[in-house]
Amino acid sequence: MIPRGWVFALVAFVVALLLPVIFRGNDYLLNLCVVAGVYSIVVMGLGILLGWAGQMSLAQAAFLGIGAYTSAYFTTHVGLNFWQALPLSILMSALVGVGVGYPCLRLSGHYLALATIGFGIITQLVLINWKAVTNGSDGITGIPAPPPIGSISFESYGTYFYIVLGFVVLCAYIAARIKATRVGRAMEAIRENELAASAMGINTTRYKILAFVLAGSYAGLAGSLLAHSIKFISPDSYSFDQSVVFLVMLILGGSSSIGGAILGAALLTLLPEVLRPLKNSYIMVYGAAVVAMIIFMPRGLVGLIEAFSNRLRRPEGV
Amino acid sequence: MHDPIVNLQLLINGLAIGSIYALVALGFVLIYNAVGVVNFAQGDFVMLPSYVAISFLVPTITVFGFAMHWQLPAIGVYLIVLVLMIGFALLFTRIAYAPLRDRGWMPVVISTIGVSIFLRNFAQVTWGSQPLSFPSPFAVDTLDFAGLHVRPQDLLIIAVTAVLIAFQYVLFEKTPLGKQMQATAQDRTTARLLGIRVGRIVSITFIYSVLLGTISGLLVSPIFSVTKEMGSLIALKAFAASIVGGFGNIPGAIVGGLAIGVIETFGGFYISSSYTDAIAFIILIGVLLLRPQGLFGERIAEKA
Repeated sequence: MIPRGWVFALVAFVVALLLPVIFRGNDYLLNLCVVAGVYSIVVMGLGILLGWAGQMSLAQAAFLGIGAYTSAYFTTHVGLNFWQALPLSILMSALVGVGVGYPCLRLSGHYLALATIGFGIITQLVLINWKAVTNGSDGITGIPAPPPIGSISFESYGTYFYIVLGFVVLCAYIAARIKATRVGRAMEAIRENELAASAMGINTTRYKILAFVLAGSYAGLAGSLLAHSIKFISPDSYSFDQSVVFLVMLILGGSSSIGGAILGAALLTLLPEVLRPLKNSYIMVYGAAVVAMIIFMPRGLVGLIEAFSNRLRRPEGV
Repeated sequence: MHDPIVNLQLLINGLAIGSIYALVALGFVLIYNAVGVVNFAQGDFVMLPSYVAISFLVPTITVFGFAMHWQLPAIGVYLIVLVLMIGFALLFTRIAYAPLRDRGWMPVVISTIGVSIFLRNFAQVTWGSQPLSFPSPFAVDTLDFAGLHVRPQDLLIIAVTAVLIAFQYVLFEKTPLGKQMQATAQDRTTARLLGIRVGRIVSITFIYSVLLGTISGLLVSPIFSVTKEMGSLIALKAFAASIVGGFGNIPGAIVGGLAIGVIETFGGFYISSSYTDAIAFIILIGVLLLRPQGLFGERIAEKA
C-alpha cells in the first residue's frame, strides 16, 4: 500500500496543477497562489532549520529580501535573465547563511532568536539606505519576467505559477531526500540533544551551519521567484513582522513535517482573504485565530489531519 | 565632538530614551524569570495604554469612529489607565499563557505573537491609522539653561525611572512579596513546596510587567506620537538591552537599557542618523559574540 503521506501529496499536487485553470482570469487570486507557493519554499527552509536542527530563526524575511534584491539587481542593472540570476540569489543567500550561522553557533533558544532578529533589522536598514544598489525606500521597479520558453510567456501569473510549483516540488523533494539520510538524522539528533549528538560523533558545527545555509538558500530562491512575479520590490516586504509570519506558518503547519510547512504557508496566505469580508478588522481575527490554533492544535495542522484520518481508519478508536 | 553643551544635551536625551528601554527590559526580564518565556507582546503593553489614555485626555479623539469629547484631568486619567491595564494583564495571563504553560516555551512565544498581531490591529480599528499626538503634561517644550536646551519630559522620564528602580529594589529585597517573586523565578517547584502560591505570584509578575510597560508608554508618548507600531521597536531594543546586560539579570537590564539609549543617541548624532536603529543590534551582536553571558552575567545558562 502507498504511504498515506504520498497520497495527500499527490492529491495536493493535482489540485495545485488545476489552480490556474480554476482561477483563470482572476489575476488577484492567481497572484495569491504564486505568493503561497513562494512562501511555502521559505517555510520549508525554516522547517529544516527549526523543525529538524532545532535552531530558531526570525530572519527568514531578510534572506527572502537578499534573494529578491540579488535577482532584481542582476536582471535590471547587469542584464542577466531570470534563469541566470536565480542561482546567484541562492548563492548569495547561502553565503549570508554561513555568515549568520557561524557567529550564532554558540547561541540557542531565545538568544538565537534575538540575534537573528537583529540581523533581520540590520538587513532591512541596509536595503533602505544602500541606495546605489537597492534604490532605497522606492524599491526596484521593472524587474523582467522570465524569458519565454517556445511560445509560452511567463508574463501572466497563471503560467508563472507553474514555475513556482515546479520549484516547490523540487524543494520538497530535496528536503525529503535530506531528511531520509544521515544528514537529516544528524540534524534531528542535534535538536533532541546537542551534547549527546556530539558524543555520538556528529560534527554539530557542520550540521548547524548546513541547516542555516539550506534555510538561507530556500529563502533566497523564493526571493528570486517573488521578485520576478510581482516585478517590483521594496524594503518593507522583508520586515521582522514578515519573519514572524513565516514562523507562525511553520508552527501551525507542523514544525518538523515538509507537508506541514507547505500547508501552513498556503493556509495562512489564504486565510486573510477568507476573512476579508470582515473588512479592516480581519487581521484582528487572524491574530486571535493564531492564539486559538496554538492552544487547540498542539501538533499543528498535520497533527490534526493525522488524528482525523486515524479516526477514519479505526472507527472504534483503538 | 568637542562641544560640551551638545554632548550634555545628547547625554540627557540618551538617558531619557534609555530609561524607557530599561523599564521595558525590566518587564521582559521579570516575565522571563518567572515563567521562562520571552513575551513578544511586551511592546504592545507600551502602545495600548497610550491609546487608552489619549482617548480620555484629548476631546477630539474618536473611538470606533465616535467622538469621545472627554477631557479629564491628567492624574485621574493615569490612574484609570493603570487600573484598566491590571485587568488587561489578568486577561492576558489567562488567555495567552495559562493554557500553554506546560508545553514548553515555543507555543507561548507563538501565542504572545498572536496577541501582539491582535492588539495592533485592534488599536488600528479602534483609534484609526493616523498617528495621534499625546498632550504634554508640561506647559513648555524645552527649558533653557545657559544655552542648554532640555525637554522637561526627558527629565520627568529619568526621574520616574529612578523612582521605579528604587521601588523595584525595595520590593525585591525588603518585602515578602518580592522574596516570593524571586523564589518563584529561581525554582518554581521548590517555591511551591515551600507554600508559595506560584500561580498567584506569576499573575502578579505579569501585572507588574504590564504596569512597567504602561508607565513607559505614558512617559514616552508625549515625545513620540502614538501609533500602533510605537511599541515594537522599543520592545526589540529593550530585549537587546536585556541580553547586553545579561539575560535574567535585573541590574543588567537597567544598565543595558540606559547604555543602549545613550550609545544610539550619540551614534545617531555623530555617525549616521539613518542607521540609528541598527546601533542597538550591532551592539547586541557584538556582545553575543565577545561576551555571550552579557555584561553582568546571567542567571540561567541557555547558550551552551
